[in-house]
Amino acid sequence: MKPCDSIKQRFVELYAVWRREFRIVLGDVGVMVFFFGLPVLYPVVYTLIYNPEVARDIPVAVVDNCRTAGSREFVRMADAAEAISITGYAADLNEARRWMNEKACYGIMVIPEEYSRKIGRGEQAVIPFYVEMSLLLRYRAFLTALTDLSIAAGVQIRQLEGLPSVSPVGNAAIFLGDPTQGFASFVIPGILVLILQQSLILGITMLGGGVAERRRLYGGRDPLAVKAPAAITVMGKSLCYFTLYIPLIIYILVFIPRMFSLPHYGSVTDVLLFIVPLVFASIFMGMALQRFVRERESSMIMFVFTSVIFLFLSGLTWPRYAMSPLWLWVGDAIPSTWGIEGFVRINSNGAALRQSVQPYLALWFLAIAYFILATASKWMEENRKMK
Amino acid sequence: MGTVGFWNTVKRGIRQLACRRIYVVAMVIVPVGSALFFLDLLDEGLPLGVPVAVVDLDDSPMSRDVIRSLDAMDVVDIGVEAASYTEAYDLTRRGEIFGFFMIPDDFGKEAVSGRKPTISYYCNMAGYIPGTLSFKGFKTVAVSTSGKMVETVLVSTGMDESGADAVLQPVVIQEHLIGNPWSNYAIYLGNSFIPGVVALMTMLVAAYSIGDEIKCGSSRQWLETARGSIAVAVAGKLFPQAVVFSVIGIFCQSLLYGYMHFPLNGSPLLVVTAMVLLVVASQAFALIFCCIIPNLRLSLSIVSLLGILSFSITGFSFPVQNMYGAVGIFSYIIPLRYYFLIYVDQALNGIPLYYSRWYFAALLTFPVVAMSLLWNLKRACIRSVYVP
Repeated sequence: MKPCDSIKQRFVELYAVWRREFRIVLGDVGVMVFFFGLPVLYPVVYTLIYNPEVARDIPVAVVDNCRTAGSREFVRMADAAEAISITGYAADLNEARRWMNEKACYGIMVIPEEYSRKIGRGEQAVIPFYVEMSLLLRYRAFLTALTDLSIAAGVQIRQLEGLPSVSPVGNAAIFLGDPTQGFASFVIPGILVLILQQSLILGITMLGGGVAERRRLYGGRDPLAVKAPAAITVMGKSLCYFTLYIPLIIYILVFIPRMFSLPHYGSVTDVLLFIVPLVFASIFMGMALQRFVRERESSMIMFVFTSVIFLFLSGLTWPRYAMSPLWLWVGDAIPSTWGIEGFVRINSNGAALRQSVQPYLALWFLAIAYFILATASKWMEENRKMK
Repeated sequence: MGTVGFWNTVKRGIRQLACRRIYVVAMVIVPVGSALFFLDLLDEGLPLGVPVAVVDLDDSPMSRDVIRSLDAMDVVDIGVEAASYTEAYDLTRRGEIFGFFMIPDDFGKEAVSGRKPTISYYCNMAGYIPGTLSFKGFKTVAVSTSGKMVETVLVSTGMDESGADAVLQPVVIQEHLIGNPWSNYAIYLGNSFIPGVVALMTMLVAAYSIGDEIKCGSSRQWLETARGSIAVAVAGKLFPQAVVFSVIGIFCQSLLYGYMHFPLNGSPLLVVTAMVLLVVASQAFALIFCCIIPNLRLSLSIVSLLGILSFSITGFSFPVQNMYGAVGIFSYIIPLRYYFLIYVDQALNGIPLYYSRWYFAALLTFPVVAMSLLWNLKRACIRSVYVP
C-alpha cells in the first residue's frame, strides 16, 4: 500500500512541476525568444545566407600576351566555366594586380607570348593563374574549374591536330551526401542540430537565472517552485521543454530540409527517433549549467559564444580524425557533436538508425550523465538553502 | 569639467568590471581561451590523411599498382579494403570513411586491350573538407593512371618524355596562390574566427554593462558621476572595456602572426589599428541597439542573435558576392566585415593602405552613428525604474 502511494505521489508532483514550468515558460518573453523565435527564424536565415550554394562567375582578369585566335579561344572556354567570369583584358600583370587590389577580380590568367606557337609545335604550354586566397571556397571553385578547363582544352587541341583521344582509363567521380557540392546543402543539416541544442541551452540557463533572481528577491526561496524531490523537478521540467519542442523538432529537422531542397535522404522515423536523446541530453546539459548563471541575462554572455566552439568540436568544419585526443574528449561530452554526426549521416547519407548506433548510444549516455549532474546540482542548491 | 566626470566614470566602470566574475570570464577567459582552442585545434593546417577505403574488384598486378600509388598520397589514408561496393557504402554511412575508390572487374585486361574501363570514386561531401580532399587525391590518381599508361606506350614508340607530356596534356594551368601558397585552412579559419569571438564578446559586454545600469536602477547615479552628460557617461564606461579588449585582441594577433607565423605581409601597425577600431566599432554597434531599445533583456538578445549571425553573414566561408543581394547587403552593417576586409588587404595580401581606406572609414562610422542616438539612452537612464 505504502510504496504504491508514494509512487502515485511522485507522479502527481511530476505533473505539477510540468504544468508550473509550462506557465513560467509561456509567460516569459525572453525565454520565448530563445525557445521559439530562434529555432523558427535561424534555420531560415542561415539557409538564405548560404542558399546560392556555390561560388559562381567569380571575376577573372586576363593578361593575353599572345593575342592569337588560339589564345582568344582559350579565354572563351575559361569564361564558359561555371566558376569563372572574365571581366576584361588587362594590359599587363601590374594592371591586373591593380584590379585585384580594387576587388574587381579574384583571379588573374596570364597567357604567355609563345602559347600558340608551342601548341602548334606540339609542345606543352603553361598558363600561370594567380588566385586571391582570402576565401577557400573561391579557391576551391577555381581549382575544379581549372582542372576541367585544362582537360577540355587538351581534348580540343588534340582534335584540332588530328591526334586520337588518349585515355585508356575513364574516371567517374560520384558525390555522396551532398551531390550538388553546395555549401548550404553541406552546412545547414549540421547547423540545424546545433540550433536545436543551443536554443535549449540558452533558454534553460535563462530560466535558471530567473530562478536565482527570484530566490535573491524572496530571501532564498523561489515562490514559483513546486515542492518535489530534485530528481522529480528535473524530470518534470525536462518533460515540459520536450513537449514544447516536439513541433519545433519536426519543423527544423523535417520541414526545413524539404522546404529548401537540402539533402533529406533519411527516413523521417529514424530522424525523429535519433533526435530524442539529443534533445534530452541538451535539456539536462542546460539544467546542469544553470549553476553558473546567477542572473537571467548573464546566460547570453556565458553561452552565446559556445555555438562557435561547439560547431568546430562537432567535426563539421574541421574533421574529427584530425583532432588531438584532448579535443576529441571535450567534443565527446557535447551532445551536438554526436547529434550532428548522426543526423548528417541519416539525413544526408541516407543511413538507417542501426548504422548510427554509436552516436545514438553516446547521446543516451550523455543524457543520463547530464541528468545525474543536473539532479545533483539541484539537490546541492536546495540543501544550501536549508542552511 | 568634462574630464573630471570622465575619469570618475572610468573609475566607476573599472570598479564594476573588477567586482564581478562574469566580466573576467567574458573579457579575458573566453576570448583568450577561444583563440588557444582554435590555434591548437587547427594546428595541422590541413586535415590530411582522410580515412578512405578501396574496392579492388580486379585484384590484378595493374590494379594493385594503382592502389599503391593511391596509398602513397598524403591526402588520403587507406584504412580498409572493402570487398564490395555495398560494404564500402555501408562504411561511409557509418561515418568510418569519407570516400572510396573502386577498380572494376577485369580492369587490367580491359585497359590493355583498349576497352576503356572506368575507375569510379565516391566522395562523401556531407563532410566538406574531407570530401574535397579525398576527391583531390582520387582524381589525381585516376587521371595519372591513365596518363602513365599512355606515356609508356608513347615512349615505347620512340617519342621523348616531354613530347609525350604535350600529347597527354597540351595545356597546363599553373596555379599561384597569393598569400597562402599552402592553401592552409588554419590561416583562414584562425584569422576569421578568433577576431570574430573578440568582436562578439566586446558587443555582449558593452550591451550588458549599459543595460545593467538601467535594469538595476543605477543609471541616474551613473549619469551623475558623468555630471549629467550621457556622452561622457558612455565614453567613461566603455573606455576601460575597450582597453581590455584591445589588449586581448592584439594578444590574439600576436599569437596568429608571431607564434603561428601566419602571413603578415603588410604593416603590423595597420593590423593592430584595425583591431582597436574593431573593438570600438563593436562597442558602438552594441551601443546603437542599447539606444534604440534601452532594455537590457531585449537589446542583449538582439546583440547576441546578430553577433552569432555575424560569423556567417560576414562572408568568411561563403563569399558575400555570391549571396543573394538582399541578404549580402547586411554584411555591411557588421563591423567584423570591415576588419576581415582589412585583414585580407593588409595582412594576407599586403597591398597599399589606399585600397583599404573605406574599410577604416566604415569602422569609424559606427561610433558616429551611435553618438547620434545617445539622446534616447539618456531619456531611458533618467526614467529608469527598477523592475525585477
